[in-house]
Amino acid sequence: MTLFTTGSLWTMFHGLVLGGGVLFGFSAAMYCMWSVRADNHNDASARRRCTHLGRLTILIAAMLWVIVFIGTYVNYPAYRVTPPEGTTDLSAYPRALLRANPDTAWLHSFALEFKEHAGWIAAILMTGVAFVINRYHTALLTKPPVFNITAGFVLVGFVITAIVGLLGVFVNKVAPII
Amino acid sequence: MNQQDRSLSTLTNGAAAAALVAAAFGACAMGLIVLLNEVGVFVAPTLYAPAGGVSGRTTIAVAVWLIAWVVLHRRWHDQDLNMRNVVMAAVVLILLGVAGTFPPLWGLFG
Repeated sequence: MTLFTTGSLWTMFHGLVLGGGVLFGFSAAMYCMWSVRADNHNDASARRRCTHLGRLTILIAAMLWVIVFIGTYVNYPAYRVTPPEGTTDLSAYPRALLRANPDTAWLHSFALEFKEHAGWIAAILMTGVAFVINRYHTALLTKPPVFNITAGFVLVGFVITAIVGLLGVFVNKVAPII
Repeated sequence: MNQQDRSLSTLTNGAAAAALVAAAFGACAMGLIVLLNEVGVFVAPTLYAPAGGVSGRTTIAVAVWLIAWVVLHRRWHDQDLNMRNVVMAAVVLILLGVAGTFPPLWGLFG
């Protein structure tokens, strides 16, 4: 038995490496925004943290784009392969495997269907955030309404990414791509 | 007032508003395209056959987002907008977008 197949490696890279990494990135960005929110924009420490935050949000947005592209164009095609007529062992056909059992059908009809598109929303939102944080830098600290809505976008992006990631874990637990 | 303070005071919030509202609009576009696809009103073309319709739906939504960003940025980048209205628009658009991708709601329109 092969320990790692090409499909499983792509799944791990998509979910564990990039998905896990981006959630760490979100945590760091949220902490950074919280810690810098009341600082004076002229403060050297605030300037340094805004620079870090800017780079971090670019990294988060880039990782989210790589995640959705791999998910859509590498993992999803392998997931949705239709089994040949008469196939009884569906383990190599994750979508068919999930749909064949009423207890797991929701993992396709709800989890995968939601995952398929919601991840793209997080990537779009975080690209907007990365633009705002890098364009405004410490000026963001002089504009609390802009700072607050940007922080809100980060929180929304984090929640969507976490939910999408969790649903991916459920799907992969029952019907992994092999 | 030093040079940095002057540049901060002249930096309007319009570019931020444009980026954030456009992103929320992109999210809404994603939800709307998915919903219209599920109720059979609009079927996005498949751009990559192995991935199926999702390739077309996501590509269209991303295109809508980028166009919205360019248009809004050109209109707002030198203006100071009421961020209260920006927040309201963003919240409504994101909620609509996420709702559109939420499978249990598709049945309500089908």
